[in-house]
Amino acid sequence: MGLDELHGELQAVARDLLKAPAPDWSLLASSGWTGLEVPGELDGAGATFAETALILREMGRAATRAPYLGAALGVAALLAAAPGTRRDDLLRRAASGREVPVAVLGDWMTSAADWARAEEPVSKTGHGTFCMEGRRISGRAEFVPDAAEASRLLIFARAPGRCGWPVIAEVTPGAPGLSVEPQPVVDETRRLAVVTADEVEVPSASAWGFSGDNQQEAAEGLFDRAVVAIACDSLGLMGAMLDATVSYVKVRHQFGKPVGSFQAVQHACADMLVQVSVCRELVDAAVSAVAGSAPDAWVAASMAKSHVTAAAVDVAGKAMQLHGGIGYTWESGIHAYLKRATLNRALFGSPAQHRRRLATRYE
Amino acid sequence: MTSPGSGPDSTAGLAEFRAQVRDWCQAHVPAGWRDEQAGAGDEEFAAFQRWWFGVLRSAGWAVPHWPAEWGGGLSVARQAVLYSELAAHDAPRLVLQFVAIHHAAATLLAAGTDEQKQRHLPAIADGEIWVQGFSEPEAGSDLAALRTAARRRGEVYVVSGQKLWASGATHADWCLLLARTDPDAPRRKGISYFLMDMRSPGVEVRPIRNGGWRVAQQTLGAERGLTMLELAERLGNAGFRWLVRACASAGALEDSLVADRLAAFETEIAALRALTARLVSGHDTGTAGPADASIVKLYYSELLQRMTDFGLQVSGLPAQAILTKPASSGWESGAWLLDFIGSWEWTIPGGSSEIQRTIIAERGLGLPRG
Repeated sequence: MGLDELHGELQAVARDLLKAPAPDWSLLASSGWTGLEVPGELDGAGATFAETALILREMGRAATRAPYLGAALGVAALLAAAPGTRRDDLLRRAASGREVPVAVLGDWMTSAADWARAEEPVSKTGHGTFCMEGRRISGRAEFVPDAAEASRLLIFARAPGRCGWPVIAEVTPGAPGLSVEPQPVVDETRRLAVVTADEVEVPSASAWGFSGDNQQEAAEGLFDRAVVAIACDSLGLMGAMLDATVSYVKVRHQFGKPVGSFQAVQHACADMLVQVSVCRELVDAAVSAVAGSAPDAWVAASMAKSHVTAAAVDVAGKAMQLHGGIGYTWESGIHAYLKRATLNRALFGSPAQHRRRLATRYE
Repeated sequence: MTSPGSGPDSTAGLAEFRAQVRDWCQAHVPAGWRDEQAGAGDEEFAAFQRWWFGVLRSAGWAVPHWPAEWGGGLSVARQAVLYSELAAHDAPRLVLQFVAIHHAAATLLAAGTDEQKQRHLPAIADGEIWVQGFSEPEAGSDLAALRTAARRRGEVYVVSGQKLWASGATHADWCLLLARTDPDAPRRKGISYFLMDMRSPGVEVRPIRNGGWRVAQQTLGAERGLTMLELAERLGNAGFRWLVRACASAGALEDSLVADRLAAFETEIAALRALTARLVSGHDTGTAGPADASIVKLYYSELLQRMTDFGLQVSGLPAQAILTKPASSGWESGAWLLDFIGSWEWTIPGGSSEIQRTIIAERGLGLPRG
């Protein structure tokens, strides 16, 4: 089967399964989605981030409520960690859905992108970051996707001081010193949490360095994934909003004509399609850069995150406008997409933060 | 578009081609042509264009987008490399031959007889210059309203009417002409497409000069999308580089608002380049959507307009004092005010932005006709 064919099939299955707004976890796990990138010898599908990205896009399209984002990043964290019995076992269990490992990455700016240039050294009291000192982990992160639904938390932490080594620590919810508090947000299609660790003990078998020669690059790669994952969600979401709007303006009549025949409406829809087309290119480029571990993958990731998550808010907002009076009613469901789009825009670095990162390359 | 392995379009193959083009550019792009062409007269401009076309032809890169049997045959990935390196080395653009190598050739390849192809394609590859005769004073966006008539007299058609000629018409050998052959047919039906010899008796060419306003040179056909590859690569190389330079020389690179805008433009250009490459590949494989060319034209032209406006704002008053830009440069020459004014040559001709949006809505999204 060719890759296009495979993707087509995966997409068709996803569209069908995601008709339920909050599909059962066991259903998602039995579809193999959590184990897409897990190697075959660990009971996974041995696929790449391109396939995970496709599922993320479909979840954005359906505004799905499921801990898939957190779990996909959890699996990615495990895959980035140095191999070992405990890690391999977790991956195997994640692939079959027996375990929901969720990544706790912390604040995008302070944890990853600029850590080498950060003004503040990593410390136990730092905001948005976790510090691993000896066998104990401390720190606090807000707005962590899906942490409250995790069976295992994979916390990204650094050794104290400047440029501390990055590690991934496996922590069980309920461990002494750990708190995971649901953090309600306006968008009801996502579950976020505040994760606080106060000297939580991590067994030595459950703390891993990153695999490969360059620990820092591998750690940054994990954050790039999170950034692109959100861009995928926003792309799916804007596609859904465009389709819904086009269908609606074809059937909604005013002044004796379908409103979609009015030029003002047509041109607004055309702009939405242009936006979606442009965003698809940025997401495709970022997904293949991340899947291929390109050295400058962060550039494509920041481009996609900054542009696509902002454009998705515009497109969802335009969808609301073009649906007229029905648009801002509860029944239309458009408000749910608009809220999710704004959350996506703010998660893992704002568009302005990502553009600031891109602009460091100009001279 | 790249693939692993060692084929011509593999990552390694393209890198090798890029190095080859780079070396060629360093040896052949004339230093100082911008200064020499600033404020050049019409004859001087035409002579320079003919010379540069010859230089490119010697390298085999004058018509890279044509089928191999007619002297082209460069893959889309390689064309993108060629155009990006030409732009990065600030090579002159092919302005005078633009209609010939793009629109006339595409028309001939799609609809020409074997005899017409044999007559014109080698001649175009040899430097024959074409102009496009579509728009009329009363038929712009509404082409179906055109009035130029072609009446059959025995073996020939006699054409009478008035066209808004694209600049360069004074040098043209041939014209792509739309004229009404059946005055009684419904508006869209009675129109025929002609190849007209510009040296025919009775052809009077009066160039339009209206300040900085020229009528740009593109057809309304879908093949227009193919010409966009070069323009997108130019915007990504020469254009963005000029913009960063303008910001740096205004001492504004440290300004966070300026840096933010630059990053936004760089991102949009990256998307445009990918979108254009997809359009061209889609055209080759027959998978392009009915509104894809319109999407690219609309996005390019409005991005060009926003970008040149930003360059103008950053450059401040000094940009107001740049009175000419080099002939043979593109729409991103770094003479920001002239580039900005020139950007309407993209948002109006070849189907205005309004027309493009209607096409996208009706053909791309299937919305009911207004």
